[in-house]
Amino acid sequence: MRIDRWTVGLAGFFALLAAVMLFVWIPNDIETGVVEVYRRQVNIGDSMAPTVAAVALLVVSLLMGVFSFFRPLASSAAPLDQRSFSFLARIGGVIVLSLVIMTYAGPLLVAVVNLFGDVGIYRHLKDDLPYKYAGFVLGGLSMVAGVIMVVENKLSRHSLWIAAAAVLALIVIFDLPFDDILLPPNGDY
Amino acid sequence: MGILDHIWLGILAVFMADPLFSIGPMPISTTVAMVVFGFLLGVFVGATPGLGGPSTMAISLPILISIFGVEADALLPVLGFLVAVMKGATIGGAVPAILFNTPGTPDSLMTTLDGFPMTQKGQAGKALRVAHFSSVSGDTFSDFVLFTTAPFLAIIVERYLDFPEKAALIILSLAFISAVVGGNVWKGLAAAALGMFFAFIGTGLDGYPRLSMNLDALGSGLPLVSVILGILILGAIFEGLEEMWREMRETAAIANVEMSGDNKLHFSDIKKIAPFMGLSALIGTGIGALPGIGSTLAATLGYATGRKMHKGEVPFGQGTPEGVAATEAANSSVAGANLIPVLSLGIPGNVAAVFLILAMESIGGFNPGPQVFRLIPDQVNPEMVIAFGLFTAMLFANVLNWTIGGVFMRSMGFVVKVPKQLLMPVILLVTLTAIYSQQPTMFAIIVTLVFGLIGYLMRKFDISVLPFVIAFILANNLEASMRQAFAATGNDPWFLFASPISIVFIVLAILVIVFFSRGRKRDSEDKQDLNKGMVT
Repeated sequence: MRIDRWTVGLAGFFALLAAVMLFVWIPNDIETGVVEVYRRQVNIGDSMAPTVAAVALLVVSLLMGVFSFFRPLASSAAPLDQRSFSFLARIGGVIVLSLVIMTYAGPLLVAVVNLFGDVGIYRHLKDDLPYKYAGFVLGGLSMVAGVIMVVENKLSRHSLWIAAAAVLALIVIFDLPFDDILLPPNGDY
Repeated sequence: MGILDHIWLGILAVFMADPLFSIGPMPISTTVAMVVFGFLLGVFVGATPGLGGPSTMAISLPILISIFGVEADALLPVLGFLVAVMKGATIGGAVPAILFNTPGTPDSLMTTLDGFPMTQKGQAGKALRVAHFSSVSGDTFSDFVLFTTAPFLAIIVERYLDFPEKAALIILSLAFISAVVGGNVWKGLAAAALGMFFAFIGTGLDGYPRLSMNLDALGSGLPLVSVILGILILGAIFEGLEEMWREMRETAAIANVEMSGDNKLHFSDIKKIAPFMGLSALIGTGIGALPGIGSTLAATLGYATGRKMHKGEVPFGQGTPEGVAATEAANSSVAGANLIPVLSLGIPGNVAAVFLILAMESIGGFNPGPQVFRLIPDQVNPEMVIAFGLFTAMLFANVLNWTIGGVFMRSMGFVVKVPKQLLMPVILLVTLTAIYSQQPTMFAIIVTLVFGLIGYLMRKFDISVLPFVIAFILANNLEASMRQAFAATGNDPWFLFASPISIVFIVLAILVIVFFSRGRKRDSEDKQDLNKGMVT
């Protein structure tokens, strides 16, 4: 009988995580214990619930590991393979790059315009065109078109059109009718 | 104020409050308009592979909150819209299953078994009509069970369950959901334990927000919407994108078979499918009332039961209307019954219910649980009015379903051609923008992406995400109940075993785990038998 090594590995990971929670995170990051005595009154402390959850995770992961030894391998396919990591790296790269563009495109535009004449800082201009949309438009375009590019393995014209339409639609839905809603990244400035 | 007064106020709140416009002398309220819009949108997204009811509910929620705000009068338009999306998506999912052998939702997988062969025989129109009739019948039946059961269950809960019993009931629900959802009990329980642990970050009674690693961003806990949408929506998007990236999307030509012969649904057809619909509606409603068991299992059981009792000329799996009826009635009758644990106990049973709870928590003014149906002498209980308003909105959505649903559903065949690889990246941006509109900080987006990655990994390792999400939602309620139970029993550390009812709940929780950890092998053998039967 072949053992389901992935499930055993997963059980090991959960057991390790539970141990870190129990012996490192909870003792160092919660100021009250499992029970607290205050003026002879015993109360449940802040550590109780996370400790119960971590102990449950530890026990369940041990049982998961033990039971996976007695169960035949359901499928020989690995849940993650080299191609999964390759996909994650590509999609992660596109999303992180898009968020960086989204966050800094507006301030960068202001910095460039300031080279030709002082217009102020981004924080003061984030409600004014074209600065307010700079980050969202460029970041959103690069996110949608970039993800389509990863899946299709090519940068196509239709992906740019779809991305532009999506960004425009989101501006119409979220920004134009409401004064109190901020598009990313303007709430951070 | 009696129950009937509250029902009447609920009806008025739906049809008369806050009129948006008038058609002649008849005012059209915001809630009515939102139910109509939600229903039509639900049919559209249900018919679109890659979208579906839960993701639409998730994306819509922040937009709705932006439009309607977080005052109590926003509850009925928002909840009405969400339940209408849920109902519309259920019937919409049958369209691509029948016309193109592509289930729009997982529940419609069994519909393809008879629906698509009917299309190949030129009976697409009849298959769609049978699917619609069975789906709406099952849904309506389930709603009536909800309307009659939830208030009584709530009264029983209120009368007999105190803090220790409530804590034990939450533990039983979590054990049940973890055990029955997914393929491995231990993975389900691990997901629930993780969900609980993450929910405790940044909370607690002490001045220092526990487990927050001294980070201000974690000081008020992980953002609820970010965690739930990350796990449920982004995780699914990442998994779907990877599948497409691997396959590079095979563009198989869709054979277009023209309809021929009689495609109408006659009374004689209804008589033939009625026993299958009835039985499936009972199965679906029974399954729906239990937290965690989804409509996919209901559809499978409804189909399997129908196959056993079928004695017609065309066997199941070769294009018989009874097969379509058995599946659609079963999966549609889960939706209403799934709200029984939500309204009477405050415990969500499926993903759609999670979004309803999320809407209730985000808006405020309605805390699902037994107090909703509590009568206050000489006073109006506003929560009961909202509950009956919600029931009224569901009935109105059913009326729409009976009247215009069929026609609208049959016109949705074109949306299946929308390429998923273009749709999913757009949903990714829409989800992130919707989250930012509610929590305007990039931290919320980063949390969403991190939990999206966790959701993706959970799916890859065949760990069900539902126990994680429901444990995340219920964890702080559980802790509060435990603190109160501990104090109420005079600091008894064995408070969970302080009453016979709580002992029964805890014993049941243990039995559920033991039963399902032993029963999986037999379960999978049954499923294999069923699959063999379908193939032959």
